[in-house]
Amino acid sequence: MRNHDRIKAFFTLLPSIVLLAVFVYGFIGNTFWISLTDWGGVAALAEEPVRNYAGFANYAELFAGFLGGSFRQDLVNAVFYSVSLLAGAIGIGLVLAILLDNKPCGEALFRTVFLYPMALSFIVTGTIWRWMLAPQGGVNILPTYAGGQPLRFRWLSSTDTVLQFDWQNLLEIVCFLLAAILIVWGFWLLREQPRKAAIRLLLPGVVLGGGTWLWGDLLPRALFMEEMHGLNLATLGIILATVWQYSGYTMALYLAGFTGISQDLRDAAMLDGAGATAYYRHIALPMVRPITISAVIILSHISLKMFDLIFAMTGPDNGATGHPALNMYLTTFRANEFARGAAIAIVLFLIAATFIIPYLISSYRQRRGGR
Amino acid sequence: MAQVELSRVSKQFGATRVVHDVDLRIEDNEFIVLVGPSGCGKSTVLRMIAGLESVTSGEIRIGGRPVNQVAPKDRDVAMVFQNYALYPHMSVYENMAFSLKMAREPREEIERKVREAAEILELTPYLDRRPAALSGGQRQRVAMGRAIVRCPSVFLFDEPLSNLDAQLRTQMRMELKKLHLRMSTTTIYVTHDQIEAMTLADRIVILRDGQIQQVGTPVEVFEQPVNRFVAGFIGNPPINILPAVVSGSGADAVLAMGGLRLPIHPPPDCLDCRQVLAGIRPDAIEIGSRLSGLRKEWQVEATVVLAEILGGHSLLEFTAGGNTMIAEVEGRLTARPGERLTLGFDLDRLLLFDTESGLTLR
Repeated sequence: MRNHDRIKAFFTLLPSIVLLAVFVYGFIGNTFWISLTDWGGVAALAEEPVRNYAGFANYAELFAGFLGGSFRQDLVNAVFYSVSLLAGAIGIGLVLAILLDNKPCGEALFRTVFLYPMALSFIVTGTIWRWMLAPQGGVNILPTYAGGQPLRFRWLSSTDTVLQFDWQNLLEIVCFLLAAILIVWGFWLLREQPRKAAIRLLLPGVVLGGGTWLWGDLLPRALFMEEMHGLNLATLGIILATVWQYSGYTMALYLAGFTGISQDLRDAAMLDGAGATAYYRHIALPMVRPITISAVIILSHISLKMFDLIFAMTGPDNGATGHPALNMYLTTFRANEFARGAAIAIVLFLIAATFIIPYLISSYRQRRGGR
Repeated sequence: MAQVELSRVSKQFGATRVVHDVDLRIEDNEFIVLVGPSGCGKSTVLRMIAGLESVTSGEIRIGGRPVNQVAPKDRDVAMVFQNYALYPHMSVYENMAFSLKMAREPREEIERKVREAAEILELTPYLDRRPAALSGGQRQRVAMGRAIVRCPSVFLFDEPLSNLDAQLRTQMRMELKKLHLRMSTTTIYVTHDQIEAMTLADRIVILRDGQIQQVGTPVEVFEQPVNRFVAGFIGNPPINILPAVVSGSGADAVLAMGGLRLPIHPPPDCLDCRQVLAGIRPDAIEIGSRLSGLRKEWQVEATVVLAEILGGHSLLEFTAGGNTMIAEVEGRLTARPGERLTLGFDLDRLLLFDTESGLTLR
């Protein structure tokens, strides 16, 4: 009987297994294979295009090649973009959720108002914000209503860059960042678990940071020439629009989590002497940790595949506001550089995987631990 | 260590008044049980004392200090909730330490207090566990531990045992009583279970529809209930209440219940009462050898409806003179339905209630 059930289950699942295998994993594999070839150039669309195995040449070109500069800036944009979107949408969403969680009057109305941007498509959001961020309209003339001078900032066409760094020194910068993360994390845990914090976090952080500072010159250069990258101020408008669109969404996620915490727990916390701040810090936020993790994953993958909003706001050809996903489209379908486009796709895929795989592992462990 | 005083405390939710002018004085170290059917306002009274609900009118004083405007954390009270309300993401230790941490006590002091409380409650082996990995009884103990680490001047319990199974409830009830004897802290305990009320309380407060019906020791509320409601609520199996007529007066007074006519000494309130409700406790009905202690006139012939043996004693449902009643008798009674037997009423313990107001006639 059990065997019989298994056979039935297998045949029921077979169509989806086959479809998944071909159209998801098969195509990922195929894309990876294409990225290892030299498919592209003038004869790319020939009936029998020439495709020679080229190893990781496309990847090398993207990260360290003479012509990969625009991709590298797009990657930097994507990093700043993801970090700002996560910080902005989660921060604002959390603040809104906490405000609404305290049941102000008109709570239902505000909830709808804040969630409403989610209902719009990116094209609509993009168009609205393009108008609002126009140099002589919308946001820039707001101060004139209060009798001030209009702002002069060019939200979407600024050519200024801040936080500039030389791509040559990428390895050094990564080492410094890692060291900083370890040290901050170490201080965070210092009160709770002093031993673990000191040995596993603070010490390696200090060693890594100090080592890089002293002997950073010995690290290999990431590029054979100087190449400056940084946060292009033109991307601020796009970040603003995305944060506007997704803050309500994270608010709804958090609000659902907060509402799920029983009143007794709040009462207990209140009797235990936890004020509002302590309640959210020690009770509510740790309890909605799964929601924070989901929000980080959802928002980071949204920011990694951001395409339509940028297309609607600054068009495909504005280098300052480029994004790898947009670059992938242009490289593949405008320039017909299929192999390089595939390489960009695989890079994006790997970055997304670094966000999602730890989550999958931890949820799998939790499920096994729960048994 | 504190007295708790409620003077003319009322609570209104919108147009609904759920607590009416409650006056209550709880002595230092006293174990008070608030009991009543669901919706009687007992939990609201407790939550007002804790500061989790505002007081619509009246005043609450803890240790002589008016606390109406004092925040819950500053009232020096600790509360144990029905569903434990443990913080699920914290270990047992962190749960118990949380209030001390909020009060910014030094780490060593917190450690000492938590370990001490864990020792008392036999929780030491579980300090590193999360609440989810504990049984119901253990969670209940953690909830109590969280309350006792603070050494509050008043303990508040909101139906703390009602999520436990019957056996565990009995065990925890005894532990609670021992804990109170050991800590001797003023305790206010809310329950709908009259057995908990009877066993735990120094004094019981019976509430109904937001009003105090009676305050008294367990024996007082059992033997001298002020009205029909209290008589019916306290006691298990419940008191037999039957419509009856009192005729005659003085030594000739007779209580007529259906076909039964029993001589009684009517209380002063019942000088010229006629229609009454008669209340007879199941344990005030005797059979067999114990009949000898009762007056001959109080003995009647009865027909067995059903006999249930509950280990050391038995419950007997019978009809006598057209009245159906329940008796709780000593020993194992093996009587078949329809069997006739003689039983006697201990009418010294008879309660008479006014048919209109339900008040006890004394």
